Amino acid sequence: MHRVIALSILTAGVLFAQPPKKPDPAVVERGRSQFKSSCGFCHGDDATGNRAPDLLRSAVVLHDVAGDQIGPVIRNGKPDLGMPGFSNLSAGQISDIVVFLHNQADEALHSNGVPRDYPLKKLLTGDAQAGKAYFNGAGGCAKCHSATGDLAGVARKYSPLDLQQRMLYPGGRGASVTATVMLANGQKMEGPVVSNDEFDISITGPDGAYHSWPKNAVKMELHDPLAPHRELFSKYTDADIHNLYAYMATLK
Amino acid sequence: MLTRTFAVLLFAAAASRAADGLDPKALLKPPTDAWPTYNGDYSGRRYSTLTQIDQSNVGHLTLAWVAQVRSVAIKSTPLEVNGILYFTTPDNVWAMDARTGRTIWHYQRESQGDHIGQRGVAMYKDWLYFETPDCHLVSLDAKNGKLRWDVEMADPKLGYFATVAPLVVKDHILAGVSGDVTDIPGFLDSRDPETGNLQWRWFSQPKPGEPGSETWPKGTDAITHGGGMTWVTGTYDPELNLIYWGTGNPNPVISGSSRLGDDLYTCSIVALNPDTGKLKWAFQPSPHDTHDWDAAQTPVLFDDTYNGVHRKLLAQGSRNGYFFVLDRTTGENIVTKPFIQTNWSSGVDPRGEPRPKKEKEGTPDGVLVSPSSNGATNWMAPSYDPETGLFYLHARRSWSVFYMTAEGKPEGWAGRDRGLWENSVLEALDPKTGNVKWQHEMGDGEGTAGILTTAGKLLFTADNNDNLLALDPATGKTIWHVNLGGRMVASPSTFQLDGRQILLTPVQNVIFAWALPK
Repeated sequence: MHRVIALSILTAGVLFAQPPKKPDPAVVERGRSQFKSSCGFCHGDDATGNRAPDLLRSAVVLHDVAGDQIGPVIRNGKPDLGMPGFSNLSAGQISDIVVFLHNQADEALHSNGVPRDYPLKKLLTGDAQAGKAYFNGAGGCAKCHSATGDLAGVARKYSPLDLQQRMLYPGGRGASVTATVMLANGQKMEGPVVSNDEFDISITGPDGAYHSWPKNAVKMELHDPLAPHRELFSKYTDADIHNLYAYMATLK
Repeated sequence: MLTRTFAVLLFAAAASRAADGLDPKALLKPPTDAWPTYNGDYSGRRYSTLTQIDQSNVGHLTLAWVAQVRSVAIKSTPLEVNGILYFTTPDNVWAMDARTGRTIWHYQRESQGDHIGQRGVAMYKDWLYFETPDCHLVSLDAKNGKLRWDVEMADPKLGYFATVAPLVVKDHILAGVSGDVTDIPGFLDSRDPETGNLQWRWFSQPKPGEPGSETWPKGTDAITHGGGMTWVTGTYDPELNLIYWGTGNPNPVISGSSRLGDDLYTCSIVALNPDTGKLKWAFQPSPHDTHDWDAAQTPVLFDDTYNGVHRKLLAQGSRNGYFFVLDRTTGENIVTKPFIQTNWSSGVDPRGEPRPKKEKEGTPDGVLVSPSSNGATNWMAPSYDPETGLFYLHARRSWSVFYMTAEGKPEGWAGRDRGLWENSVLEALDPKTGNVKWQHEMGDGEGTAGILTTAGKLLFTADNNDNLLALDPATGKTIWHVNLGGRMVASPSTFQLDGRQILLTPVQNVIFAWALPK
């Protein structure tokens, strides 16, 4: 698969031309209930297949527009494949089933992301005491952070998912890197790095202005407070991460 | 009126130049005055024998011309045949005068489907072949961009789309397909150049009961929904009459629970007979992948001597962070070595395939994995320089948390990773050992530029800070650079025209053509 998050801003990543409108949840639930009682025995209660095919992967469902393909199949069945018709269902009931099926298929189509409202209970699998010990011991977190100082109330500040992500690596790309630049005349200037490539260094100076130099004309030192976070990537076990997270989640 | 007259004259002149077309036999020995296929030649090396631009004069490079098209970023490698460039973006093909950068014709075909990228056209005689976001294969008349025929390769409503530049081998148009969010089988088509009719189709999954099917669970529909897209152009060895193609990840993407087993031939390098589509051998860089690590990256072909024996080789820098060297006659593994730090494999099996750790499959509470789903490398073209004997690739160091989010039967992606941090490094690998000969840091973020090497002892690529770079391929030292003001998401290419070596560097929707001063 080609997905490259960094490039999505550069390319028009249109999956299907018309993004489906979010259906009315009440209709989806009616459809779910109707589907379960009429179709679930063979197609599975969630339509992902049982003795009959997975309908989320069905060409009929994926080609359907407002029931134009699904409707006739429900009404008439597929006798050659052993599916009976459901002529007892009303047009409204069939319509509800169609909405439910499209909703199910749409969820599968959009399963390539972790929802922003990802629940805490899924993430909270570690041992907070072990996490606290890691924080103060092997992890070395306490060298820079304090549960009662900069991290006081941190669990209230972020969503459960963001808390885990920021615990592992806070901030955006190079967000907090600063540089001390030593000019040829002996002058020094320090400030947040704006850009740092192979050839040039630029910072925001104490005067609030942008300054840049060719690297071969100056000496420089970078100060990257996130370096210890990167060093931990290859040291963490997943248990360390889940324990540490459980501890962070107590800092309310 | 003046403009129109001018355009007509221009068109007439260009058409006369293009009239010679491209004999498929010429692809066996590509001339230095053409870049006739996606990779320039069948080997996938992206190495040019041109020497006019070299280490001593690259600092004098100047712009021959600049051309801008109204478009998203160009990810294609332009073909150059008889003085005409042919390049693409999704839904669009342009023919351009390679001497001036003037557009000769523009073909547009709006379509539904995933528009994530388009990597170029293939050419056979006077015809071009172009794949579309709604998974059609389209043939155009190279003289004027007029449509010859248009065939649907697969149903876009099921989630198929297409981005790959087809490959011409003899009288076969080899065309791959893409998919992303739905559980559909991948395949490679061979199409008739005159009609678009199907000659053969090779599916990325064996049929139930065939060899390889034992790597899928029995009694479920997993094998018929297993992914394995063929979305990067393959390579060809005319002597062995074998094509080499990489395949993408299995589906569902993040959850492997419904497809226990190695899931052949997803995340594989396969050798196929181009006349029949029959599988000769397969090697699987990522058995039972659950991290979206397609093994679609270019299988690069070259020969070398190992322990005194001359061998025909194939090398791939794979998205999972491992570098592989295989004997391309038999598929026998010679080298397997990670080119970045990874943490997902428990070791390499006797076939040379890294075994995945079960505990590094995505979970609801997240597991930390290197590399991210975007990969330790990806579609950006690698290069092999026969003079240095080194394989070059754009590598990314990255760490990411993989979550399995599906409840109930996994479908589609069934989860995703969230990236924590990434940076990039250009690496020169010794194919004899897999050891890193040199590294050149490319900056924070994920590198996206392809690589070109030349007999002028130059390596061209771009870093993550918009710099076009010319490096010494022996040492990785920068010899020349210029900031082009945008990220390169294509690959540099070169050819000789009117006695002048031209270097092409597409950056976003602009093509810069470089040459030495006249």
